[in-house]
Amino acid sequence: MKLTRFIQKLILWELLVGMMVVIRNQFRPKVTVQYPKERIPLRPRFRGVPRLRYDPKTMEELCISCLLCEQICPDDCIAIKWEKAPSGKGRVLKDFIIDYQRCCLCGLCVDPCPTKPLTAIYMSHDYELAGSDRLDLVAGRTDLHEGRTVTIYDK
Amino acid sequence: MFRTQEMEINMGPQHPSTHGVLRLKLRLDGERVVDSWPVIGYLHRGIEKLSESKEFIKITPFTDRMDYVCAMSGNLAYLGAVEKLCGIKVPEKAAYIRVIMVELNRIASHLLWLGTHALDIGAMSIFLYGFREREMILDLFEAYCGARLTYNAFRISGVPADLPPGWKEECTGFLKLFRQRHREYEQILTANRIWLKRTKDVGYMDAEHCLALSVTGPVLRAAGVARDLRKDEPYAIYDQLDFDIPVDDGCDTYARYIVRMAEMLQSVHMVEQCLEKMPSEGPLMGMKGRRMKPRKDEEIYFAIEGPRGEQGVYLISDGTDRPYRCKFRNSSFANLQALAPMVQGGLVADVVAIIGTLDIVLGDSDR
Ligand code: SF4
Ligand code: SF4
Repeated sequence: MKLTRFIQKLILWELLVGMMVVIRNQFRPKVTVQYPKERIPLRPRFRGVPRLRYDPKTMEELCISCLLCEQICPDDCIAIKWEKAPSGKGRVLKDFIIDYQRCCLCGLCVDPCPTKPLTAIYMSHDYELAGSDRLDLVAGRTDLHEGRTVTIYDK
Repeated sequence: MFRTQEMEINMGPQHPSTHGVLRLKLRLDGERVVDSWPVIGYLHRGIEKLSESKEFIKITPFTDRMDYVCAMSGNLAYLGAVEKLCGIKVPEKAAYIRVIMVELNRIASHLLWLGTHALDIGAMSIFLYGFREREMILDLFEAYCGARLTYNAFRISGVPADLPPGWKEECTGFLKLFRQRHREYEQILTANRIWLKRTKDVGYMDAEHCLALSVTGPVLRAAGVARDLRKDEPYAIYDQLDFDIPVDDGCDTYARYIVRMAEMLQSVHMVEQCLEKMPSEGPLMGMKGRRMKPRKDEEIYFAIEGPRGEQGVYLISDGTDRPYRCKFRNSSFANLQALAPMVQGGLVADVVAIIGTLDIVLGDSDR
């Protein structure tokens, strides 16, 4: 027992075992992703920046300006402008602004949204948020529906 | 003719081995550390004060940003406190999902600790392997809640969503793979003579001093005290799970390494049990609506066992839907107090190993 331990120590046994692990790992598939060229596929529940959607059937505004998302947002980054509907019932959305600089992508705004079956506000799969100006990151109603235009770096 | 003199130098806040923005003032006598003062606060965001002006539900995203390496524990500690304050019961299925997430996050957190700690000491490859496996856990989290770091995965009284289809199988596959990979980490480090030289008898702190400084978590358990809130004061469904608490009485950096490595396997074991025992049907939220009505002048303290130690939340309510006072007892801040006595008299190179072994997250200690 003592002798084996001595020999193991002499031939740097534990370092060899460790080295074997490293060598074995050389032949495993690569996991590194070259980011701007390749992208990892996103999971369906991925939370990117929040956006608005139209009713997919009628292509009308889904949001009913109930202001629940504005109230629940912990960073106060949603601002909604609305008017009384001409028919006297309900509200008409005038403008919807989300300040992406402040948004922490928490997803709380989606929880209380009352429209069924799809929520008017949803967490999109957009995650590239760079801008050269502060105002670039303040998304108005068109941006929220169509997505922000980003310049893709492809050099 | 020649004269020696003690020198005061700064380590950090931009030093890569201080794991964030810790600044250490060191007084050195040659290579020996005579004295040290940790300077914190570079990441202070005033979360406690900010919380007083927000409704209970809005504070959850902030708890993600305190201990960002183990955000699920932060969520669980805070929500547990709110549920205790308002007397809300969490449905069983939701409790199981919470425990699965928290234990997976503990593995991820320990993997990050293992990688960076070994990297600081000079082992490069284990860093890459650890992060490779951590990435898989983050993928699981992304599939469940949509975020990879700041999860905000739980809500007051439950969880917002069930596990997605195929998640259980993916998780089981990962756990199986992880057991193999864990053996590989052990092969690289546990008997490695360089690792032993750098960690044995470095950062010695015995149980008495640990308790005096209210150090908790793996650092305390590596000093021979089997204190673990999951066993001592079970919350969620921990009393239904079968697990051990790894304890070692080496009191040094190597003992902490052994304890944390064993803890990872225990977490794997727990997640396996949870996946098996979890009821397939059942409610996910314990209450309807989101109006909170805590009693007036109620004070509660609720603590869970995070990967770094006791993670507690102290809430005072004044009867409204906002906390009157919200205090976070974070383990990094308490554990950081052990740094100065540990490095005293040691070498400068060991300071790096000791910062690593305490496993501090500066977002957690500064809040
Ligand atoms: S994701 Fe969170 S921070 Fe962003 S808009 Fe929604 S509620 Fe506000
Ligand atoms: S919660 Fe939904 S319906 Fe209400 S204002 Fe926000 S987006 Fe519109």
